[in-house]
Amino acid sequence: MSDREKNYFDPKVLAGISNLALRARYVVEGLMSGIHRSRAKGFSVEFEEHREYSPGDEIRRIDWKALGKFDRYFIKEYEDETNLRAYLLVDSSGSMNYASDGITKFDYACTLTASLAYLILKQQDAAGIVTFSNRIEAFIPPRAKRDYLIQILHALENRGPGGDTDVGKILDEIAGQIKRRGLVVLVSDLLDEPAAIVKGLRQFRFKGNDVIVFHLLDQAELDLPFDGNILFEDLEAAELRVVADPRAIRSTYRVVVQEFITEMRKQCHDNAIDYQLISTATRLDQALASYLSWRG
Amino acid sequence: MSVFFLYPALLFGLLAASLPILIHLLNRRKLKRIQFPAVRFILLSQKRISRSYRLRHWILLALRTLAVVFLALLLANPIFQTGAGLFAGGGPVSLVVLLDNSLSMTWAGDGDGFKQAKEAARLLISALNEGDRTALIPTNVDGKEPFRLKGQKDILLKELEGIEIADGTANPAAALSKAYELLAEPAGQKEIRFITDMGLTGWDQFSLAALKQVDPSIALKLIHIGHKHQPLNGTIKTIRLASQGVGVNLPTQIEATVANFGDTEIKDLLVQLSIDGQNREQKLATVPAKGETSVNFQTRLNQPGAHVGQVILKKDGLAGNATVHFALDTQDKLKVLVVDGDPQTSLVQSETFFLSRALNPAGERDSSLFLPTVILSDGLNSATLDGYQVVMLCNVAALSDAFVTKLQNFLRQGGGVLIFGGDKFQPESYSQRLSQVLPAELREKKLGPEASGEKVGKFDLDHPALQNLSESTLQESIKSARVWGYTRAGAPGKAALISLANGDPLLLEQKVGAGRLMLFTTSADRDWSDLPVKTVYLPLIQSLTQYLAGGKRGMLDAGITVGTAKELSLPPGYVGKTLRVTKPDKQNVEVVIAGEKDRARATIEVNDQAGIYRLDFPAGGEKDSGTPPIYAANPPFLESRLDEIGARELQTKLSPIRAEVIPVDALKEAGSRTDLALPLLALLIVTLLIEGWLAQRF
Repeated sequence: MSDREKNYFDPKVLAGISNLALRARYVVEGLMSGIHRSRAKGFSVEFEEHREYSPGDEIRRIDWKALGKFDRYFIKEYEDETNLRAYLLVDSSGSMNYASDGITKFDYACTLTASLAYLILKQQDAAGIVTFSNRIEAFIPPRAKRDYLIQILHALENRGPGGDTDVGKILDEIAGQIKRRGLVVLVSDLLDEPAAIVKGLRQFRFKGNDVIVFHLLDQAELDLPFDGNILFEDLEAAELRVVADPRAIRSTYRVVVQEFITEMRKQCHDNAIDYQLISTATRLDQALASYLSWRG
Repeated sequence: MSVFFLYPALLFGLLAASLPILIHLLNRRKLKRIQFPAVRFILLSQKRISRSYRLRHWILLALRTLAVVFLALLLANPIFQTGAGLFAGGGPVSLVVLLDNSLSMTWAGDGDGFKQAKEAARLLISALNEGDRTALIPTNVDGKEPFRLKGQKDILLKELEGIEIADGTANPAAALSKAYELLAEPAGQKEIRFITDMGLTGWDQFSLAALKQVDPSIALKLIHIGHKHQPLNGTIKTIRLASQGVGVNLPTQIEATVANFGDTEIKDLLVQLSIDGQNREQKLATVPAKGETSVNFQTRLNQPGAHVGQVILKKDGLAGNATVHFALDTQDKLKVLVVDGDPQTSLVQSETFFLSRALNPAGERDSSLFLPTVILSDGLNSATLDGYQVVMLCNVAALSDAFVTKLQNFLRQGGGVLIFGGDKFQPESYSQRLSQVLPAELREKKLGPEASGEKVGKFDLDHPALQNLSESTLQESIKSARVWGYTRAGAPGKAALISLANGDPLLLEQKVGAGRLMLFTTSADRDWSDLPVKTVYLPLIQSLTQYLAGGKRGMLDAGITVGTAKELSLPPGYVGKTLRVTKPDKQNVEVVIAGEKDRARATIEVNDQAGIYRLDFPAGGEKDSGTPPIYAANPPFLESRLDEIGARELQTKLSPIRAEVIPVDALKEAGSRTDLALPLLALLIVTLLIEGWLAQRF
């Protein structure tokens, strides 16, 4: 791996690349060139359902017989015969729109998610995506088609961060919509009640899903590196504001944050959930390593 | 114990102590806004540390404020002093020691006040360190003396030895003004020490406005020499002549008034009269508390001329000026030739009966200042005027040419002539023969019935010959006199000494050479007026005779107050000449005599000692200046009063000068002076270290 390629794991470098697909490709290609390519786990051939044609679908996949019957274009969907269906859940609430140094948490989450999707699809597994704030913003069910990545990226790029967070409720809701078990990857800052989040994650576990949580925080959220008297305004709740001298509270703040992280880690561990704390300063390859270690 | 600052102006730096608070307030207003996702963690953190955070915050603010305060105090360089006078450390000192050497210091401190004051000054000078500079100023300064700060202790101690008690009152304003003037230039630590008995007399007259220069930042310490015991406090208030004039071999009565300032009656006070150094008489007196007593002496002087006198108080433990000097100018008998122009067989009917009685009331040789000799007008031609000071012509009809010549010569040589009118008096003859010397042109006689006589209208009390008539009874007496016969005299443009109600002159004067001629237009007896039987007649005749004999002599001069000027009015011939004055300590001072209108005037300002001053008139003046050759100067009467001004009242008078009153005993106690700069620096460093440590902990 060249130095230049290595730099693409740096979130700051990636922040300079506006095309999400390109980012994901750089990350995954860089990553995969360094490890042994895994064996393909199978190929999807079983018809599952028809769906209406939408621009971008391959012409060759149009079911011409259905056209003759209904005078409408349908695409034949086949169920992928994969041993992995991955649901990538991306938190797009207002709190994710924070960047202390170059890249926002949401950008980082998108890059990470896109890279995961790219990686999953490249390994011919099925990847789907859900973006949410206090409601589900986009739901792209998992597919194992290579060109499915375009739709996933489209869903990520079309949606900017905003709105409140209610992770626990949303996880409940998403769990209800997942019919087949697989892998659930949650990328979120988890700025919500830990009990509600864990309750939501537990729903996935009940349905036999494996769950990986990427707890994504900005480095400033971990360190509170500010000086002087500051009026802190919450990114989600406008009424939540406080004047504080960071120097005076920094050490206590770090303790509070660590307590929160520890609690989340413990709860995840207790529920057999993989928990990975990453900051926006964490290199992408390190973040992806968590997934790869799970994937074996 | 006290704390003062070497650079008090820098204490304004304490205002900077408000800076940390201002910065704190400004910072609170100048907030930076940050949008942040984890505000809930910040809130939680604040909740946890809220109490300790605030405490530390206020401690930090207090430490920062303290640091500024310490810095400002450090720059002002505080000095902590214990004791009242001995210096140790604290940097070079510029010190002015004011030494009260007024007369009252003689009796302060139970009798050795001035000694204590000098000892205190010696202590201060001896305690000075290398680099310190001092000036020693007595309080009897007039502001012209060349004082300067100096560092040589031996010279200062020598100067101290040379300072003696002055007979005058302290002038604290002049002394303080001089002190501020001296301390205007040097930098560093400055102080004024004023060693004083805080006598009311000196300080009562003190006004800050009289000071030419004041610097309230310079510490003023008044070292008080007080009394441990209340002494008997009395002095002689006045000396006066109780008898009429002072003549050779005549009984002379002198009255001394003794005052008691204290609350205790002074018993068995010996009051002694001394003339020319000889004890003449002494009496025991009792002076009531806060009261006065008169003591009368009677003595005789057998030599004419100037005599020095003293009244001395003698009593153990008496505080106050005990000796008062005075001058006596004893007059030899004035020989008066009285010429009777209308002799009668009856003495009472005689023209000169009342006149000669007025000059010698008792009729005895040694009972009056005047020695009248009565002759008849027939004997005028053979009479010689030598040996007489005054010639009185009473109703003398006419004068021969030979006598007129004698009379004119007598006048020119300084003799005095008094001419009375009467029925025999021939105005035409007098006008013709004495036209050159008469004060007016004589006209007709005017004679009316006694009942319709003219009253006296105006009289000039400012004239030296009539000054003795200033008493109201005498004025009433002369106003009640009636004149029904007189010779009219025309003297246009010339004011009469006494005139009648109708404006006609009764008494006129003409200066002739060195002598004087006076014209009484009425008779000397009761023929033309009732003046001879009036109370005023005797003093009037005696006063006119004294005047005609040449000035006021035969008097007691109680003297002037030490420190004031003596004015002498002399004949014009003295203008430009030099008068030599011998002071009580035998030192001579020369005074140039100046001219003033038609007189010469000498102003003697060197009266800084109590005692007798002797005058040597320059040669070439007129025959008789009429001025006694000695005069006395006495300490101010109130300088003997030992009442003190209260410390608070004094501090009020001195405000805004910070005046601290210290008892003289405090000087003797060991004292030390500690520079607080180092401890303050240590405090500042410790404060900054704690502040830094606490700030790091935040």
